[in-house]
Amino acid sequence: MEWNGYTGNILNVDLTRNKISIIKENLEDIKQFIGGIGINCKLAAELIKPGIDPLSEENVIIIGTGPMVGTITPGASRVVGISKFPASGAIANSCGSMSFGFHLKQAGFDHVIISGKAEKAVYLEILDDHVELCNATDIWGKDIVETTDRLWKKHDGSCGVIAIGQAGENLVKGALTLIDKTSTFGRGGLGAIMGSKKLKAIVSKGTKGVSIADPKEFNKLYKKLIERIRNYPHRKSWIDLGMLRSLPIGMLLSMKGQKKKARQCSDRVYLKKLKKRRIACPSCPMADKDILEIKEGKYDGLIHYTSSVINPFMMMTLDSLNTYDETINAFDLINRYGLDSLTITTLFQFLNDMNDKGILSKSDMGFEWKCDYNTLIKLIEMIAFRKGFGDILAEGWKKLADMNETMATEMLVVKGLDVVFEPRLLRLGTMEFEQVVNPKGAHVASGGSPTYVSSGGSMERFKTHFRRMGIPELAFNKIFTPPRKEMGINVGRLTRYSEDWYTVLTSTGICARAQMNRFWSLESITAFYNAITGFDLIQEDLRKAAERVWNLLKIMNMKEGFSRKDDKFPKEWFKPLKFGDNELNFQDFYGSTTITTEIANQLLDDYYDERGWDKINGQPTLEKIKELKLEKYL
Amino acid sequence: MSPNIIINEEKCVGCRICQLWCSYIHKKVFIPSEAYIQVKNVYDLNPKISFLDGCTNCGQCVEYCLYGALTLKEVED
Ligand code: SF4
Ligand code: SF4
Repeated sequence: MEWNGYTGNILNVDLTRNKISIIKENLEDIKQFIGGIGINCKLAAELIKPGIDPLSEENVIIIGTGPMVGTITPGASRVVGISKFPASGAIANSCGSMSFGFHLKQAGFDHVIISGKAEKAVYLEILDDHVELCNATDIWGKDIVETTDRLWKKHDGSCGVIAIGQAGENLVKGALTLIDKTSTFGRGGLGAIMGSKKLKAIVSKGTKGVSIADPKEFNKLYKKLIERIRNYPHRKSWIDLGMLRSLPIGMLLSMKGQKKKARQCSDRVYLKKLKKRRIACPSCPMADKDILEIKEGKYDGLIHYTSSVINPFMMMTLDSLNTYDETINAFDLINRYGLDSLTITTLFQFLNDMNDKGILSKSDMGFEWKCDYNTLIKLIEMIAFRKGFGDILAEGWKKLADMNETMATEMLVVKGLDVVFEPRLLRLGTMEFEQVVNPKGAHVASGGSPTYVSSGGSMERFKTHFRRMGIPELAFNKIFTPPRKEMGINVGRLTRYSEDWYTVLTSTGICARAQMNRFWSLESITAFYNAITGFDLIQEDLRKAAERVWNLLKIMNMKEGFSRKDDKFPKEWFKPLKFGDNELNFQDFYGSTTITTEIANQLLDDYYDERGWDKINGQPTLEKIKELKLEKYL
Repeated sequence: MSPNIIINEEKCVGCRICQLWCSYIHKKVFIPSEAYIQVKNVYDLNPKISFLDGCTNCGQCVEYCLYGALTLKEVED
């Protein structure tokens, strides 16, 4: 048959046997599961055996893209990876962007399955039909930036590269990978999984093209959408500032009473002192990736790529960092080694608190703790190379929790992953809540929803967004019925639909960031999807496929032993957070109610209920599994 | 060689929209490698934009580059 949007091919790479083959996709599967995250999940359910060690030869990595990737569809460049992650022990997905997915599609593949373990260090090269496992002994031991630069150079600066650094090689459980040395991919240990397989990098470069089914309809849809984007009044400021526009870190620091530091991460510092070049993922009209350059002082000349300047700026919430250039330098080191900046930030703060309280000391850590820049750099090196106490930290939060009861209760961790968004600071929106129920552990990407887009918004504004996301009208009433009336919104129920919406975006390949996803609706995605693939689906088919995928992800993790007991709100959230001179409480989205454990449990009940899951064990019911035709995966 | 288009590489973000659109309107497939406009070193500090033989001067890449990296030359009477 003729494939449009999809290539119809899955690349199958067995590292142990050095064997490469192609699996043809099945149309029925694609209609049931849809693209990137969907088919990835289906393959994972078939290939990852329950109970395996994530860092053993038995684990499998599946990387995939959606049918819109490789076309001009605005913002469609996402790539999804699924595997069993070492930080949490969960089978989970992770997303990234930049040019890997684009090139993979252009090379003629929708997904890549990587199994086994190579005898010696290798990297996988996918150049159209030429697929090869190449010797990587000369890049093993190099950091991500150097590895990527070398591979780019080999391919005239035009290929997608997923690479690991020393942290991945040394099996640091939270090690991630970077795509094109810019986009983080695989929080929770994808870097370590690649390291365990002796796979240093994956290169994709394609020249085959992606065809679409209905050019006339596509033209109409594209022109209409791109004109809307072109005329969006805030487009210019998004392009000037990128994500800094949505999360002004300086404001947070000012709130904390750190005005001097706030100036170090202001718009002005970014624009005048750091911004070198704005870059975009393929097809993106809202370019937001940063090339930064330090132009003065000790780190003069440092060039740094990041998916947004807010990533390093977020680290400035640490008391050990005072200037923008030290921050960028520390962040650059974290990226080069393939560590996770969010985890390092939370960990440093936690170790500092534990030292202050006398729970950790020199005898545990092997060195005198200081809350300063040099200690931060030392810690980064110790973890990446598993030196001294860094060897324990490299094992992740669980190992630290085992050391001491107080540490176990005070860490802000869900299922082995540290919390990214602190609800005592930001209140309880869907992103904060989803960190508790996400099968992966504390993770924010799939919780994006109107609680962000219309922050503090009216019910009417919410409804507009609900319709955009394709939430059935029948569900509106329940979403507007929270455990306490004054809360306005039931984030438990709404999170179910945020996850489904995220799954639709991640299946088709569209970026989930607010500035891009705001231009899309379930209606427009369905129209583009049909024009591209030639299928004749209705919105409900896509929404249902998304629900199916999320349930399948949950089923896989049921088999790994996860249940409601793991969907646990960190205990610390229920205590006030000291923030400068302020004490912040755990409050609902409108700041009208303090969230108690009772309300939190009710929100969990409501989330499971909205999903049609069993409230006692927090798992899909047999009825739900049958409705979604997933019985064979039980 | 497009005599009618002025290139401003400093403004280019490497989105490849120009290549995708050019290949699509002229070849009916999204095949940037065969577009008449080529952007090399997309994520380098200095990207390189060039036009290949076969470019029809249709100006469509200019129309769809949303970043101001391509502009049409003023036509003199
Ligand atoms: S010239 Fe314009 S459309 Fe082409 S890659 Fe550069 S910014 Fe994108
Ligand atoms: S002017 Fe037309 S043919 Fe020439 S590169 Fe641009 S889109 Fe292609």
